[in-house]
Amino acid sequence: MLWLQVLVNGLAVGGLYACIAVGFSLVWGVLNIINILHGSLIVLGGYLAFFAHQYWGINPFLFAPLAGAVMFAGGVALQYCVINHVMARPFLITLLLTFGLNLFLDNSMLALFSADYRKVLLNPAPGVFDLGSIVVPADRIYATLVGLVLISALALLLRFTQFGRAIIAVRMDRDAAALLGVNVRWTYAVAFGLGVFMAGSAGALLSAIFPISPVASAGYLSKAFVICVIGGLGSIPGAVIGGFALGVIESFGALLLGPEHALTLAFVLLIALLAVRPSGLLGRQGFA
Amino acid sequence: MKLTVRSALAGLMIMAAGNVAANAKDSVVIGAPLPVTGALSPEGTKLRQGYELWREQVNAAGGVKVGDRRLKVDLRYYDYQSQTPRAIQVAEKLITDDKVDFLFSPFGSGATKAASAVAEKAGVPMIASSASSKEVFDQGYKNLFGVYTDNSTFSEPLADLVKAKLPNARRVAILARNDLYPLSLANEFEKSAKKRGFDVVFFEKYAIGTLDHASALTQLRAAKPDWIVATGYINDLITIRKQAADLKVGGEAFTLINGPAYQEWISAVGPLAENVTTASWFHPVARYSSDDVFGSSAKFVELFKAKYGSEPDFTQASGSAVGVVLQQAIERAGSLDRDKVRAELKKGGFKTFFGPISFSDIGIADSYVPPVLQIQDGKVQVVAPAEIATSTFRTGLK
Repeated sequence: MLWLQVLVNGLAVGGLYACIAVGFSLVWGVLNIINILHGSLIVLGGYLAFFAHQYWGINPFLFAPLAGAVMFAGGVALQYCVINHVMARPFLITLLLTFGLNLFLDNSMLALFSADYRKVLLNPAPGVFDLGSIVVPADRIYATLVGLVLISALALLLRFTQFGRAIIAVRMDRDAAALLGVNVRWTYAVAFGLGVFMAGSAGALLSAIFPISPVASAGYLSKAFVICVIGGLGSIPGAVIGGFALGVIESFGALLLGPEHALTLAFVLLIALLAVRPSGLLGRQGFA
Repeated sequence: MKLTVRSALAGLMIMAAGNVAANAKDSVVIGAPLPVTGALSPEGTKLRQGYELWREQVNAAGGVKVGDRRLKVDLRYYDYQSQTPRAIQVAEKLITDDKVDFLFSPFGSGATKAASAVAEKAGVPMIASSASSKEVFDQGYKNLFGVYTDNSTFSEPLADLVKAKLPNARRVAILARNDLYPLSLANEFEKSAKKRGFDVVFFEKYAIGTLDHASALTQLRAAKPDWIVATGYINDLITIRKQAADLKVGGEAFTLINGPAYQEWISAVGPLAENVTTASWFHPVARYSSDDVFGSSAKFVELFKAKYGSEPDFTQASGSAVGVVLQQAIERAGSLDRDKVRAELKKGGFKTFFGPISFSDIGIADSYVPPVLQIQDGKVQVVAPAEIATSTFRTGLK
């Protein structure tokens, strides 16, 4: 029974990990940018949900798409006005730019919201699903479900809309896409905006589960990074599978090696995966 | 050769000018490495608030009395980004570039231990605001003085309380953040529990930066503890308390250190805060009268509330406490001479708003009993020591 509970724990946190990683994966895959800002955007989504709950009593699980939508607009503007200027520059320049933006956003949040930890406190508390000897926290299930709905919507958008195909086309071959009439600059901006949408939504979903603070951003970023490498860069199903995989591996790592080494097993497997399958579990260049 | 002589002469002149400036100093320069950004920025911000309040009060009163002069306090901060190696660099910079007279420590035991080596080498007395692990003080240093009592002063009274109120309790589970202070604290709890005949049925560490504690708490639950002790910082303990409830972890007593003493922890966990016990070196309910710039604990709390709009917690209070201790030592010495000030620090006997402060041979405060606290009906109550208790210890979890 202990093993089953540990598996359930892993899946429950894995769903949250998937939400954290999808936006990061999309931006990395399409724009070839390692978006260091991603963790801070998740935290910002958390703050939006916190204040929406505090002042208007909106449930963060319902607010998540709205938090994403507000941040989508900001993301498009940021990419179009700032990041687009360095898109043709070497990889390191875009990395530095998002690093700088991350410092700016983190410190702005510190100044605006202070460093105090906050958390959305739902009343009544969502409670747990009690299945005899197995318990599953309800809030994690709700967050995962809403997250999976948003991720599915994003996948459908990329697969079945003209705009989605334009994003995929730009990702596969920017010059060829431009020759075929795709507005590359605009496509980049919207793709980045979609990444920010997912980060903002994830932040709102996590706001009732983990403490919110500007200092939490680095933790989310590192999780997103590992999940994308496990799942495969730029692959949305890859990010989902990577998220669940990391959750379960960490959970069993903590059981088998002790909580202190929960990450050890995950990183050993990550190194092994990089050695045998560097493109990740579902990574295939050019496809979403 | 000519050039070399000229350069040497110019250098000597600059040094002489520096000495003149030093002799004519009109302030006490104190250096403070602070974690303004990074994981410890909440604590860094709190510490700075404590420093600032003390500086403001001293300077408003004319400054620190040194002999027949009054010198203003000049505090120099640099951010060490919550990274211990940077804290060491900042301490070095403060000593060599800023030429500080004295130092306040970085935040926490780990960084304090590291930076104290720099202070010791340069012979600069360093007052530690937030180090309580014996491992920080047992290096044989002469310049390190800490205002916190050691970790066993938390574990001993709590173990006594649990033993007295829950005579049938046998099983103790301990979950510790794998970090110098939280781990040292956990080790003290293990010792205190074993000393009283408890079985420590679970003792595990979790890594710094752990986001999710479900697996550790699942194993802890399986150990069926009567008393659960978890150590770490606010964010860890918010998640641990919530996940313990999510996983229906039972037990009759739940001790979390350090977290519940902070209002933000209580706000973040809501009703789950009920009956959680903790301990803290200072709480606004303290009623000490003092010889320092504040005059009493109550006056300190009042001034703090007026400036920052909330009650001070122990980190904020410790920021002011290191200030008043250093100030009293300088005033007694009547000089900024480090040897004289160090000698006064060693003598101890400082009556402060934080409590009576004297230091043991190794430099850690050993002169007051920190209060044991419990959250009852959403409020922090003192449940030990009996002389300052505001309520009685409650068992059970909600």
